[in-house]
Order: sequence, then structure tokens, then C-alpha cells
Amino acid sequence: MEGLGINLSSLLAQLVNFGLLLALLYIFAYKPVIKMLDQRSAKIKESIDQTEQIKEQAELAEKETARLIAEASKEGQKIIDQATQIGEETKQKAKQDAKIEAERLIAKAKLEIERERDDAIGELRNAFADLTVIAAGKVIDRSLDKEQHRQLIDKVLEESKVLNKN
Amino acid sequence: MAKKKGCLGCSFPVAIVVGLIILAVGILSFLSGALGNALLGNIGLPEWLLAESPEVHLPTSVIFHFLGFPVTNTIITAWITIIVLVAVFYFGTRNMKLIPSRFQTAIESVISYLLTFCEDIAGEKYGRRFFAIVATIFLFVITNAWIGLIPGVGTILVQGADGHMVHLFRPVNTDINLPLALALISFVFVEYWGIKTLGAGYFKKFFNTHRFFHGFKELFSGKIKQAMGSFFNGAIDIFIGLLEALSELVRIVSFTFRLFGNMTGGEILLLMMVFLAPFMLAIPFYGLELLVGFIQALIFAGLTLVFATIAITPSHSDE
Repeated sequence: MEGLGINLSSLLAQLVNFGLLLALLYIFAYKPVIKMLDQRSAKIKESIDQTEQIKEQAELAEKETARLIAEASKEGQKIIDQATQIGEETKQKAKQDAKIEAERLIAKAKLEIERERDDAIGELRNAFADLTVIAAGKVIDRSLDKEQHRQLIDKVLEESKVLNKN
Repeated sequence: MAKKKGCLGCSFPVAIVVGLIILAVGILSFLSGALGNALLGNIGLPEWLLAESPEVHLPTSVIFHFLGFPVTNTIITAWITIIVLVAVFYFGTRNMKLIPSRFQTAIESVISYLLTFCEDIAGEKYGRRFFAIVATIFLFVITNAWIGLIPGVGTILVQGADGHMVHLFRPVNTDINLPLALALISFVFVEYWGIKTLGAGYFKKFFNTHRFFHGFKELFSGKIKQAMGSFFNGAIDIFIGLLEALSELVRIVSFTFRLFGNMTGGEILLLMMVFLAPFMLAIPFYGLELLVGFIQALIFAGLTLVFATIAITPSHSDE
């Protein structure tokens, strides 16, 4: 033992040295560094979790947006369809109105024309009757009873008129 | 990388000059060392160049007495180790940040390496409990070993307390009191952790008398044949328990002499190399000693950790 150099005082001194080093390193190295390492790994874990969460939220938001866009598109389509339909209806109605109006005008014009014609025919007949009476008077040189004569011509005309109409 | 002209990053003339200097130093080293002296005899070199015959003292030398307490050169060197370690870690952890500086990263990687080492072997819960002791053993041993390689340790002479000229610093691991102290600490903590974790059950593996006494029960109930078997197996169990207890104590010795022997051997190896040829020859062995210092520190810390892990594991005799 003596040859190896084992002695109690040195042994005690080295034990004390070790204890001292253990205490000092515990205070200055192990405790703060391990705390820091744990803190950092916690932080990293937190960051990863947060990233995951944000990703999830973004996905959700994207889905929501897509849904809204689809909805809006559908709504827009519906409105356009409605507008087209209304436009079509309006157009049809305008067309119909115009047609009715035109027909009415045509009918009115026809009526007018007929009336004009009838008037013209009436006038012509009167004039013709007078002329005939005068001509006949001249031929026989004697004045016929004007009234009688007139009736006679009217009768003839009436017959011709029937004939015409048929 | 572009291939540069020249040799080993020097231009050719510089490389040649360096080579010549190395050659000259080598020759001088050979001539002034014991090797050259033996082969060629003294060719008239000045005396201060000649290598002295190394002297190996296993016991340490007392430098001075402090309050009647002998302070040896290894204790002084151990204080330097402590100061260096504490200073490095103090400045490394003084203002720690979540995003570390380079120095902080270096410090953290050392601690984190040791912590991972502990947690890998002993599991997360116990690894952290063992960590402080294991890490301190590792850091103390490796720093002692490496500080022992610094020039000045083992060369500066002062007058010792007994009047002789003695070395002021000496590698701490070559003082058997340090390995012994560490071995005792390792032993005490292993036993402490074992008892703390398993309670009285920890001693079951040393006093495994369960089967032996079971034999008596069988004997009284008339099963003589089984009783004999139980007595036999019980005796073996008791013997194994005693061996177990003995091996626990032998660990102190093996711990002590493994570290002491390796470090003292390394120191003597370096001394001999310097004696054979004072310059250059010892350089590769310094590299070797760096490795040995690391390995011994790892072995000491690692074995403590493994023994502690075994100590907290319940023994199989429970089943």
C-alpha cells in the first residue's frame, strides 16, 4: 500500500475534490444546460405542433373558400338563368303586343277602306241616277215624274248590286 | 477543391526547408537520446541536451502543508482541473440563449452527449438520476488525463515539503488515491441507487436463501427427495449470492487499478519515449494518450452507469 502511494489524507482530499467538482458542475453546467435542452426541445415540439395546427386550419379555410366559391357560382348561374327567362318572356310579350296592335290597325284600316268605298259607291249611284233621269228626260222630252223615276232606277241598281255582290 | 502546387499546403522551397528542419531535429533527437547513446556512444553533445534517465515514483510528493494537511502535487493539479472545468462551464452557461452561440453549442453538445449516453443505457428516468455522477466522473477523468499531457506537467520542479526537488504538477490519474476515490464514489452511489430503488429487495441477490429454507419446509412435510434437491440448489444460490457480493467489492479494486494502471502506464510510456529520443518520437504516443484518456473516462463513467442500471433491476429470484 505504501509503495502504491495510497494514503488517507490524499484519498480524502480527492473525495472532497470530486464532491466540489460535482457540486460546481451541477450548479454551472448540468442544471442550466439540461434546463435549456429541455426548454429547447419543448419549444421545438410546440413549434411543430403549432405548424401542424396552422396547416390544418389552412386546409379547413381552403375547403371553406372552395365551398363558398361553388355556392356563389351556383347562385350567379341561377340569377343569370332567371334574368334570361325574364328577358325571354318580355320579348315574347312585346312581340305578342306588337302583333295584336298591328292586327288591330290592319282591321281598322280595312274597315275605313270599306267605308270609303261604300261612300264612294253611294255617291256615284246618286250621281248616276240623276244623270240617267236627266238623260231620259231629254230623250223622251218630257219630264217624268221625278219621284217615280228615281224609284225605278234605284230598283235597277239594287238588282245590279245584288248581282255584283254575288 | 483545386489541386494546389506544392506539398502539404506549402510551396516547394518552404516544404523542403521544413523537411530539413524536421530531419535535423530527428537526428539530434536520435543522437541525444538513450537510443543513439547506446548505439554510437556520446559524440560530445552538451550535457543539457542529453536525456536523463526517467524515474518513476508511484507515491505522490507533498509540496506543502496546509493547516497540517499535506497538499500533494496531484491535489494541486486536480484543483487546476476543477478550475478549468468550472471556468469553461461557467462562461459557457453564463447567459444561455434558446438560439445558442458557438461556445454554448459546444458546451451543450458535451452535456447532451453525456445525457444521451446515460438515457440510452439506463432509460430516461434513471438516466437523469445517474447523470450528474456519471458525467462528473467522465469530465473529471478525461480532463485530468488531458491536462496531464500539457507541457509543464511532470517537468516543473519545486522544493517539496521534505526538502527534495519534486514535480509541481503531476497527472492526477496517476495518483492511485484519485482512482480509488472515484471507485469508492461509484461503489457507494451504485449501492445507494440500488437500495433506494428496490428497497430491502436489493439485498435479495446477495442473500438468496429462499430455496434453502424452502427445503426445510419440504423436509418437515416429508418430501425428503425434493428437500435434498432444494438444499442443493439453495446452497448454490447462497454461494452465488456471496460471489455477487464479492464481485461488488472487487469492482472497487478493478475500477481503481484499471484507471491507475492505464494512466500510469501511459505516463511511463511517454517518459520512456522521451528518454529514448527526446524530440518527435513521443508525438504519436501523445495522440495515443489522448485517445486512452477519452476511453478510460468513458469506461469509468460507462461501467458506473451499467452497474447502476444492473443495481436498480430487480433480481430474477423474485420470479
